[in-house]
Amino acid sequence: MKTLKQFTDEINKCVLCGTCRGVCPTFDVARREPASARGKVALCDALLKKEINISEGFIKHMTECVQCMACYESCPNDVNVPDIILAARTEIVKENGLPFIKSLTLRNFLDSERLMPAVMKFASNLQGLFFKGVPEESGLHRRFPLPLIDERRLMPPLADRFFLEGRKLTEAKGGNGEAEKRGKNLSPIRPFTDSPIRVGFFAGCLINYMLPNIGEASLKLIEKAGASVIVPPDQHCCGMPALGMGDVETAKSLALKNLEAFEQYELDYITTACATCGDGLRRRFKELLGDEYPERVNAFCSKVRDITELLVRELRVGSGEWRKGHTSLGSKLSAPGSVITYHDPCHLNRGQGIKDAPRELIEISGARFKEMSHPCRCCGLGGSFNITDYDFSMEIARSKAEDIKNTGADIVATACPGCMIQIKDGLHQIGVKAKVLHVVELLV
Amino acid sequence: MLSQNIAKELNNIAGKENITTSREDLICYSYDATNQKFLPDAVVFPKSAEEISLILKLANREAFPVIPRGAGSGFSGGSLPVEGGVVVSLERMNKILKIDTDNLIAIVEPGVVTGDFQEEAENMGLFYPPDPSSLKFCTIGGNIAECAGGPRAVKYGVTKDYVLGLEVVLPTGEIINTGVQTAKGVVGYDLTKLIVGSEGTLGIVTKAVLKLLPLPEATKTMFAVFSDMRDAANTVSKIISSKIIPSTLEFMDKESIGCVAGYLPPDLSGSIEAALLIEVDGDKDLIEKEALLIRGICMENSATDVRIAGNRQEAKALWQARRAISPSMAKLKPNKINEDIVVPRSKIPDAIMGTRDIARKYNIIIANFGHAGDGNIHVNVMIDKSNSNEFERGKKAVEDIFRLVLSLGGTISGEHGIGTAKMPYIGMELSPAAIDVMRRIKQVLDPKGVLNPGKIFPRHRLV
Repeated sequence: MKTLKQFTDEINKCVLCGTCRGVCPTFDVARREPASARGKVALCDALLKKEINISEGFIKHMTECVQCMACYESCPNDVNVPDIILAARTEIVKENGLPFIKSLTLRNFLDSERLMPAVMKFASNLQGLFFKGVPEESGLHRRFPLPLIDERRLMPPLADRFFLEGRKLTEAKGGNGEAEKRGKNLSPIRPFTDSPIRVGFFAGCLINYMLPNIGEASLKLIEKAGASVIVPPDQHCCGMPALGMGDVETAKSLALKNLEAFEQYELDYITTACATCGDGLRRRFKELLGDEYPERVNAFCSKVRDITELLVRELRVGSGEWRKGHTSLGSKLSAPGSVITYHDPCHLNRGQGIKDAPRELIEISGARFKEMSHPCRCCGLGGSFNITDYDFSMEIARSKAEDIKNTGADIVATACPGCMIQIKDGLHQIGVKAKVLHVVELLV
Repeated sequence: MLSQNIAKELNNIAGKENITTSREDLICYSYDATNQKFLPDAVVFPKSAEEISLILKLANREAFPVIPRGAGSGFSGGSLPVEGGVVVSLERMNKILKIDTDNLIAIVEPGVVTGDFQEEAENMGLFYPPDPSSLKFCTIGGNIAECAGGPRAVKYGVTKDYVLGLEVVLPTGEIINTGVQTAKGVVGYDLTKLIVGSEGTLGIVTKAVLKLLPLPEATKTMFAVFSDMRDAANTVSKIISSKIIPSTLEFMDKESIGCVAGYLPPDLSGSIEAALLIEVDGDKDLIEKEALLIRGICMENSATDVRIAGNRQEAKALWQARRAISPSMAKLKPNKINEDIVVPRSKIPDAIMGTRDIARKYNIIIANFGHAGDGNIHVNVMIDKSNSNEFERGKKAVEDIFRLVLSLGGTISGEHGIGTAKMPYIGMELSPAAIDVMRRIKQVLDPKGVLNPGKIFPRHRLV
């Protein structure tokens, strides 16, 4: 990863024209220059020139970014502001260390093979104590003050059974035997079938702990599309939450573990149904591990596809020949006549350049589609930004919710579990009852 | 540094959360699109004309500069706090107060983003034509202060043609209303026109009454490329003299096109030395006819390729290319001296060929693009400021360009304003007597010189 100093040329490319003010979601809410991409570039420039230190103000402004990449996309000089901000966050961590709460979460939690599932399981069993259910939205409000959880927040409940949980118990063949040799109980979910196309599924934390249905739907669809899929059991968090907070070391260690988890199998593709994980796996892993393991990481990254891209582009779901064999794919979830709109996750659209594949899948589902205005505008989650700046984050979510409301859609589809959680919360807060689903859920 | 007392009074006026003196915030309000930085002493975010009035009264009592600021996207330094002081950011005053479809007017606060306002008007079938390239982020207040133009000026005119009336806080703190909310009005001097284009030196606009037009039924966007710059320049004059007024007639030279090549159709034929972006709007059938006529004129003048955008998406891509030119010039050289000269439309070929000669004379890159249809060309002298020799040559080239423009009967700034950027050259165009009248107006309205000092006129000559 490049240091902030190594971004000096990138910073100098910024001519302070202000174009980013027109697209920056944090600026849109705050209406103050430091919240804009241009302001942050100016602050990083000042830091490098030693006109300011890593002050409280500097940290605050660097935190106020959702990493949506809209500034980068609109910049006439292609200044990569999101990465400049990440480098600044890394600088902050280097100087100040991680704040206590965050470091506890990240270092000891995400990175631990046993601790995170165990704590999450414990929480899953006890969540009734802390949260009260909100029946219509199938979400939870907290019952009494909890650290980091705003009382208005609508939380998706933790799953009774985590997506990765059962995987280890399933007997399976098809690995290269490495895992078994090491004497660990590491079996993939199911044996490879006879299909010549082998796919490895990366779950990611949100699908694993909160929305396992998306994982199940993905596996079904991949198989329906004629490929063979396994879920390497010793996979971890993708590391993007850590990287987003500037904790490169944790992100790196997680990236390496994931690399190892998937390398054990002969795979044609590695896929995920989380836009942020996917963006991390295919782009950030290279930056994190490229220096040390260039060949291994290139081999890994070149196989990564978003689930929508895998289905539509590689497995040709929806193509003429494919349609002959599959007449109905419409989901039980979408009642006939229901209207669907689609939200472009930042890390899928701008991060991975994928806009059409999810829309093609919606078309296959047979639903009536209605585009919302600004489908590419960020939902405001921004990883940990949603935790550190909940109100700010929800202000951004509100614009998104309004855009959805204006379509009159019954279903909002998207391709990122993070966006789903945020949009559900946003819709709930303005009293709109549209269902929020992952695109893959429309098809099973 | 502001004294504790002044800071306290500002707190009382705008509320503690709406004033900042933190170094990080001051840095973020130190610059504009000229890429220069001057630290203010404080930034205030007022919510009303009354608050701004109190700030200006305080400034007169305590003698500190007040600098109004919209989006900080100006090209002449209008919002730079060159002498420190208090930046009054109008970012919170961003409400569209009324769009009156019966009377075709709108009332807006200064912090409204121009493009947002246009979108809102268009949703109601109405049209606010001024379209500076920064329309997606610049504000109406800034547009009024600088009398912004844009590509559509060739047919629809500039900001001043759409401002019917204003609420203005004068430099001494009085709040006045100028102009009317009606289609016409001649009661007293036209103070509205005096304020529009005064670069934030005569008052702070807190409300604007704007004129709207019915939204044209359709538009057609075209892109013509030429292998000789002279052909492109001649085409502009020919289109105008053939009595078609396109809603856009934009010129770009080879250097400009190179900076935004990524946005353009990849298969344009011929070696491209210059291009024209042309748009016609109005009645659906009529514009089809006009588009064909214009295509004919382009071909007669040796265009090597003419593309008519088939749909909105293609038109949008062409516009993106045009709007990205100015900021992306940094790809040519790190710094630019950015001029926006205007010549009579028949003189466009002379102006463009003349700047070419100047570029050759000083061995320097000059990139030309802009609103050729109304004679307004953005002449960009590209330099590396760290190369002092090149910087000096650049400055000499600018003077030559101004001399050329004035000799052709033109003006040295069409829509950016003088600010700090063109301050040294104002005397080339205006007589001492004309400058003196302007100084006296400033003196009457702002006797203590607190509002946006150090702009337009060199300070030391201000009595």
